[in-house]
Amino acid sequence: MEQTSTTKDQIRQFILQSAQRKGVSTLGDDESLSQNGVMDSLVIFRLVSFLEDTFNIRVADEEIVDENFQSVNGIEKFVESKLAKKAN
Amino acid sequence: MDFSWTEEQNAFRQSVIKFARQELNNNLIERDRNQEFSRQAWNKCAEFGIQGLPIPQPYGGGGSDILTTVCALEALGYGCRDNGLVFSINAHMWSAEIPILNHGTEAQKQYYLPKLVNGEWIGIQGMTEPMSGSDAYSLRTRAEKRGDRYILNGSKTFISNAPIADVFIIFANLDPEMKPAGVTAFVVDKGTPGLSVSRKLEKMGLRTSPIAELAITDCEIPAENLLGKEYGGQAVFTSAMEWERICILANHLGLMQRLLETSARYASQRQQFGQPIDKFPAVATRIAEMDIRLETSRLVLYKAAWLKKTGRHPLREASIAKAYVSEACVQTCLDAIKIHGGYGYMTEYEIERDLRDAIGGTIYSGTSDIHKMILASLQGV
Repeated sequence: MEQTSTTKDQIRQFILQSAQRKGVSTLGDDESLSQNGVMDSLVIFRLVSFLEDTFNIRVADEEIVDENFQSVNGIEKFVESKLAKKAN
Repeated sequence: MDFSWTEEQNAFRQSVIKFARQELNNNLIERDRNQEFSRQAWNKCAEFGIQGLPIPQPYGGGGSDILTTVCALEALGYGCRDNGLVFSINAHMWSAEIPILNHGTEAQKQYYLPKLVNGEWIGIQGMTEPMSGSDAYSLRTRAEKRGDRYILNGSKTFISNAPIADVFIIFANLDPEMKPAGVTAFVVDKGTPGLSVSRKLEKMGLRTSPIAELAITDCEIPAENLLGKEYGGQAVFTSAMEWERICILANHLGLMQRLLETSARYASQRQQFGQPIDKFPAVATRIAEMDIRLETSRLVLYKAAWLKKTGRHPLREASIAKAYVSEACVQTCLDAIKIHGGYGYMTEYEIERDLRDAIGGTIYSGTSDIHKMILASLQGV
């Protein structure tokens, strides 16, 4: 559980930083990052790089889709599944 | 760290240089003036294996890794003075071949890749629009699903290769309310009703590489021409851009080496005040700076390619390479012109064309300003 919380905190912090650049100051964990305007082509690039560096995972090209990056919770779920696969 | 190329890579590099010098440099001044693309040179490159470099052998390609591909493209830039042709090849490889390779169905790969590799077909990507350039996903072209068909409507601009293309990777938004997440990619064949080249554009450099606007009006395409998944346009575009930003300036390395050698040779032969001009510190310093720029450009570009080869997404390194190499190449062109003096400014010396061509590198595939913005944002700025 502690690992899950840490993962989400780091993701939320990264997303909040990106959101604040666009004038979005609050963000729900289930809020759509596309619809609230946080996600754009540059943020996607940065997010993938952030996830790979922070969690030491590899994000395949075909995994860069909205279902994996649609919200803070969605990103956390994606990262957790990658970490779980790595642990096995 | 091992910075050396293998014997095979070095031999391949030499063969590319020899091929390019012999086959690709005809009538360049005239073709540049007339904005004339050489289909013959395109076909020769395909026959040699350039367009198929990173494509696996089952689809007709050479199956080269990214570093070998960079090595070959650098050699092409050194031997081939038709920078427009090399740019067209790059646009074809990174924005058409790679998206189909990485995101296409097996049927799409079997159908499109062999012909894109063998030179029969030319591919392009239709992403940029009049109101969306750097902010790519704010595009206004729409896709509507009707049964097992998609109907595309919109327009595209600054589409490299458009007037000569056979295969178009068109990005459109399938659900505007989803904003960027609605972006979806489609493969559209030349001749599909509703897709047309609306206006050819004239540009400052890379004039042998045609560019145009596209009009897309009630363009109906079958469901099997979806590329990747519905709402999967970001994945298609991201992977294409990553390859492109790393590889598209590899030929600039070859160009910079060619200009360095040409300038050093000229400076050692050109006599003024009773001595070669390379004896003047200002000229010698300029040559040294061209060499420093070439070496540092190689390091940043090779590193980005190496990281990609290890399976990483080298966002930072690709942006450094794209911003640095493009600007370095422009400066090297300017230095080459200064060393050649009045001759360098003349069209017949063919350096002014290199400068005009190199300026394009600071704009396409993300401007230098955009890449510096990415780099600053990675530092939390």
